[in-house]
Amino acid sequence: MPRTKNISIAFKALALALGALFLLTSCKALGKDGLVLMTDDSYKATVFATNKIGFGSPDGILWNQGKLYLADEGGVALEVWNQNDGLKKLMDGQFGAKSPEDLVMDPQGNIFFSDDDAGGVWEVDANGKQRLLAGKEKGLFSTEGIALAPDGSILVGDADAHEVFKVTRDGDVSVFLGREFEITKPESMAFDDKGNLYIADNEKNVLYLLDTNHKLHVVIDRKDQFSPETIFFSKGALYITDSHASKLYRYTPNEELKTIAAFGGQLKNVQGVTVDERGDIYVSIQSDLKHNVGFIVKISKES
Amino acid sequence: MIYSMVLSALFAELTARLTSLNDQILAGMNGMAGRSWFFDSIVGLTQGNDLIKAGLIGCCFFAAWYSGKTLEDTRVRRKVLLMTLVAAVCVLATTKVLSHTIFLPRPAIESQKIYHLSGQELVEMKRTNVRTALDEESQKDHRDLVNGDVKTNDLGSFPSDHAGFFLAISLGIFLASRRIGLVAIGWTVFVILAGKMIQAEHSPLDIAAGAAVAITELSVLRFAAQSRLGAILDKISLWTFKYNALSAALLFAIVFEISSTLFHVRALLALLAAARVHLMVG
Repeated sequence: MPRTKNISIAFKALALALGALFLLTSCKALGKDGLVLMTDDSYKATVFATNKIGFGSPDGILWNQGKLYLADEGGVALEVWNQNDGLKKLMDGQFGAKSPEDLVMDPQGNIFFSDDDAGGVWEVDANGKQRLLAGKEKGLFSTEGIALAPDGSILVGDADAHEVFKVTRDGDVSVFLGREFEITKPESMAFDDKGNLYIADNEKNVLYLLDTNHKLHVVIDRKDQFSPETIFFSKGALYITDSHASKLYRYTPNEELKTIAAFGGQLKNVQGVTVDERGDIYVSIQSDLKHNVGFIVKISKES
Repeated sequence: MIYSMVLSALFAELTARLTSLNDQILAGMNGMAGRSWFFDSIVGLTQGNDLIKAGLIGCCFFAAWYSGKTLEDTRVRRKVLLMTLVAAVCVLATTKVLSHTIFLPRPAIESQKIYHLSGQELVEMKRTNVRTALDEESQKDHRDLVNGDVKTNDLGSFPSDHAGFFLAISLGIFLASRRIGLVAIGWTVFVILAGKMIQAEHSPLDIAAGAAVAITELSVLRFAAQSRLGAILDKISLWTFKYNALSAALLFAIVFEISSTLFHVRALLALLAAARVHLMVG
C-alpha cells in the first residue's frame, strides 16, 4: 500500500478519535454523575454531608440525639459529627483498628464497633476511653454486624467463622448462633421492639429473623434481586440498604419489602443506614473507598 | 484568558444546543410509542427477539464471509471481517468502561422523581414526559420501575453498547461487501437503534456516543491492520481456507454470539470472574 494512503488513513483515524473525544467530553459536561431515583414520591433526597466535613468513606452510621456517629472505613476512624462542633475523631487507626465496619451505642453512651479487617469488638466509652473489648485471640477474626442485646451484652457476626458471637462487657466471648444455623455472612443485625433479632446475610442474600425462642426464620430470600448490607430498626419498620442492587428499602411484616430509593452513578455503593428522631433516613455511600470519597445522603419526607 | 473564556462560552453554547437537539429528537421518536398496541408490539419484537433483532446482522456477516467472487477477493473480505470482530469486542469493552465513567440516566427513568448530583448537592431534575409503549414487556418494565423493581444497571444508559456493537459489525460488513453492508447498516439504524429511541431506552446522545466509539475503533483497527495486525489477520484468513470445515463451525459460534450481543460470552466471563473471586476470597 502506498505510504500516502497509509498517512491518509492515519489522519482520518486521528480526526475521528478527536471527534469522538470531543463528543465524549461534551457528554461528560452534561453527565449526571450521581443519581437518586425516588420510587416513593413522598420522600426527597438531599446531600447531608460530604468529605468536606472531614470524613473518609464511612460504612456504618448511627444517629443519636443530634449526633451522627460514623464507622469510617476509608478514614480508619470512629468519628462523631454534630451541628455545632463539626466532625471529631473518637478513635483512629493508631489504636489498632483497620477497617471500622458497623457500630452500636448503649443507653450510657458507650460505643461499640466491629472491624472486618482487624477483627474484634472495639469500645469507646462515654468518657472517650478506648479499648479492644475482645479481639482475634478470642476468635473474632472478621467482625461485621453488631447489635446490643437486651441483657447489655454485645452480639457480633463474624464473616470468617460464619457465626454470631456474644461478647460480655468483661470481654468474654461465647457462641450465640453457631454454624448449624447456616448463616454465611452476618453483615448487619438489629433488634426490633419485640426483642426479635433481624440478621442480614449479604453472602447468602437472605434476611433472617431470630425470634425470642431462639428460632431462626427466613424473612426475605429473593436470591439475586436482594442483598441486605445494613439494617436499622426504627418505629416499627426495618430500613435496609442493598449495596448490590443499590437500593434503600423499608420492610414491615404487613407491607413487606418496599423500595424507597434506588441509587446510581457514583452514589450506587450504599452502605450504612440510620434514622433520626424525626424519621429522616441517613444513608452512607462509599463512592470510592480506595481514594476516600464518600457521601451521607439524607432521605426525608416531603413537607 | 480571553481565548479560554471564548472557548468555554462556545463549549457551553454547543453543549446547550446538543442537549436541546437530543431532547427534540428523543421526544419525536418516543412520540410514536403508546399509540398503537400493534406498532409497539412490532417495535418490542425487534428489541426483545434476538432472531429478529440481530439474526439479520448475523446472516449478513455470514453472507459477507462467503461473498467473494474469487479466492483472493474472499480472503480480503474475511480479513476485514476478522478485523471487525476484534473492533466489536473492543467497542463493547470501551462502552462498558465509559458507562462506569460517565453516568447519564436512561430516558425512561427521567420520567420519575430523580435527583442528580450537581457538585456537592442533589438537585431534583425536571421530569420528562416519556410515553410508555403498549406492548406487554414495556408495560411490565414500566410497572417494575414505578414499584421500584429497577436494576441499578438499568438506571444509566450512556453510551449505547447496542449502537457501538451493531454499528461496528455493520460497518465492518460494509467494508467487506458494500451491498450486504448497506442492508446491515439499514437494519441497525432504522430497526435496532430507532426502536431503542422509540421505547425511550436510549437517547440520541447515547447512540451517537456508541456510534462514535464504533467508528473510531474500527478506523483505528483498520489502520492497524495495515501493519502487524494485518499480518496476523492474513494468517488467520488463510487458515480459514485450509481448515474450511472447522472455520465454518467457528463462524457459526461467532455469528450465534453476534446475534445475542455476546450475551453467552459475557455470562461465561462473569462466571469466570465470580469463580476467581470465590477461589481467592474463599
